[in-house]
Amino acid sequence: MIDRIALVAARELRAERRQPDGVVAAVTFIAVLVLLESLVVGPQIARDADVASALFWLALAFATILATMRSFDRELEDDALEGLVALPGGRDALFGGKVLSLAVVLVLVAAIGGLLSLVLLDLPVALPLHLLVVVLLGVVALPPIVVVDVVLALRLRARAALVPILALPVLVPQLVAATRGTSAALTGDALGALSWAGLLFAFAVVYTVVGLTIVPAAIE
Amino acid sequence: MILRAVSVAVGPGLTLVRGPNGSGKTTLLRALAGLVPLARGDRHVFGDVLYIGHRPMLLRGLTARENLEFFARFRGGDTRGIDGALRAWGVGEVMDRPVERLSAGERRRAALARVETERVPLLLMDEPFADLDDAGVNRLRQSIAHAREDGRTIVVATHAHPELDELARARIAIDYGAATAA
Amino acid sequence: MIETTIPRGTPLPRIRPWLGIAAAASFVVASAMALFWAPTDAVQGDVYRILYVHVPLAWLAYLAFVVVLLASVAWLWTKRPFFDAVAVASAEIGVLFTGLFLVAGSIWAKPTWGVWWTWEPRLVTTAIMFVMYVGYLLLRGLSTDFSRRATRAAVFGIVAVIDVPIVHLSVLWANSLHQLPTVLRIAGSPALDTPMLVTLMVSLGAYTLVYAYFMSARVSLELARQGRLWTRT
Repeated sequence: MIDRIALVAARELRAERRQPDGVVAAVTFIAVLVLLESLVVGPQIARDADVASALFWLALAFATILATMRSFDRELEDDALEGLVALPGGRDALFGGKVLSLAVVLVLVAAIGGLLSLVLLDLPVALPLHLLVVVLLGVVALPPIVVVDVVLALRLRARAALVPILALPVLVPQLVAATRGTSAALTGDALGALSWAGLLFAFAVVYTVVGLTIVPAAIE
Repeated sequence: MILRAVSVAVGPGLTLVRGPNGSGKTTLLRALAGLVPLARGDRHVFGDVLYIGHRPMLLRGLTARENLEFFARFRGGDTRGIDGALRAWGVGEVMDRPVERLSAGERRRAALARVETERVPLLLMDEPFADLDDAGVNRLRQSIAHAREDGRTIVVATHAHPELDELARARIAIDYGAATAA
Repeated sequence: MIETTIPRGTPLPRIRPWLGIAAAASFVVASAMALFWAPTDAVQGDVYRILYVHVPLAWLAYLAFVVVLLASVAWLWTKRPFFDAVAVASAEIGVLFTGLFLVAGSIWAKPTWGVWWTWEPRLVTTAIMFVMYVGYLLLRGLSTDFSRRATRAAVFGIVAVIDVPIVHLSVLWANSLHQLPTVLRIAGSPALDTPMLVTLMVSLGAYTLVYAYFMSARVSLELARQGRLWTRT
């Protein structure tokens, strides 16, 4: 099972490396948003730890949705998804593989978006190590929900609108925890950062288990 | 498409599923492959299934070889025969190009090479003749003849193409959701 | 090997008309008790009487969604179309009651706290739940094939219901760790004396009967729709 999930993730990452549509869309999106944010609210307010974290995570949530939808668009061309699902155990490995590969893609997107925010907004970072932990766990906590919702909206018309409507309300706990944790790490609240990071880890585990259990039933 | 009260049993050798467009051939094959939920009834399959749909089912961004290697590894099989099989299907030259840069016929050939690289007992092929030239059709017939000699079960759905008739052990005619042995 | 089934319409409960009468009668009694019999609150005055609407609506909002969860699990388990009908019926009624709860909450908040909306965790959770179930109904509306629609909706229904308590906790913790500037607590809900408590219980019972009546009507409507869908294909 683990081997198969790793194989699906490797297949995805190889395709993404050769045709990096998902990464390019996500990185461009987050960069544009960071730029616009500073312009629209003004650099003084944008530098506030709470505001900067909130906008970063909202942007990352949308970037996750973009990258995931792009990944499944590729699967639908030439029925590649069906080729995977028709394999013995393919249905079960799909969710895990997609979550894993998306987490890797998102680490890249978050790194670029994060550095850009730090530089453009000249954000002071009180606890860089804590910040790293929170961002990494946040990146792992987002994909399970998004993959579930993209699978549910597969082949439906208006799915570009449907996926954010389905995903964002369910992502509230993850977004709250990631934003508060990031803000705590920026302002030097070590205990706060670590407790939110722990929560993010718990969310990642819970929704990965839920997804592994339930998503195979949703793929036809 | 809905199939009603259809019951099918296939054994080793080649079984042809015939029927006009929209008669339910694809649905029957997909049901045999376990890709569509059955509202009622059971599906018993002995051994693993290889389903080759009416589209090549290769992921863009990967080469033909990488796609086939993925399928073989996923089944826990070895990947040594893949180069040879792709060459035998006449796509050796292009097997290291991403599949989106192959022609439709080349993609079809690469997909059909899976018959040799994934040696599972049950083969399901939906309109495998699509996009193939004469040489490709010959290669497919050879490939199916070999699979038959190896004792594998092969089910091919097609609306025309008499090329396989002399190889077939059984035929199923399907028309608008009802199947009969023909 | 492959068969499809035309769902036999579950025999419609004969009790539905009686359920309707019981729901209407108890609703009238509960409203009369809430408006005239229950005493005026010492602190809030008559405004507090909206409690007899607000609390039952909240109860129904959550009850409806637990029913969605159970029906969704049952559909995935058994694939009996009846359970899908229960899920969609309960989701639609739940959205209605959640919406009414939010409106009633605003009407109560304005005279009590001077604002239409507060970021109180229970309110926030309910609002997010409302959005989730609008999404649920949207997902259903965009899907066409019966069995796929039911399965997709069931999966989302289960994920969303699991998410509701987690949303509540995260909002709660966010507020307690980082005190928001304008946190208003509902702690001011009046201590209930016996007539108030009796009125509240009667209201809860009456609204639950209304829910049961709506459910029976909506489920039989959905079953009829399913029958039409299946004979057409």
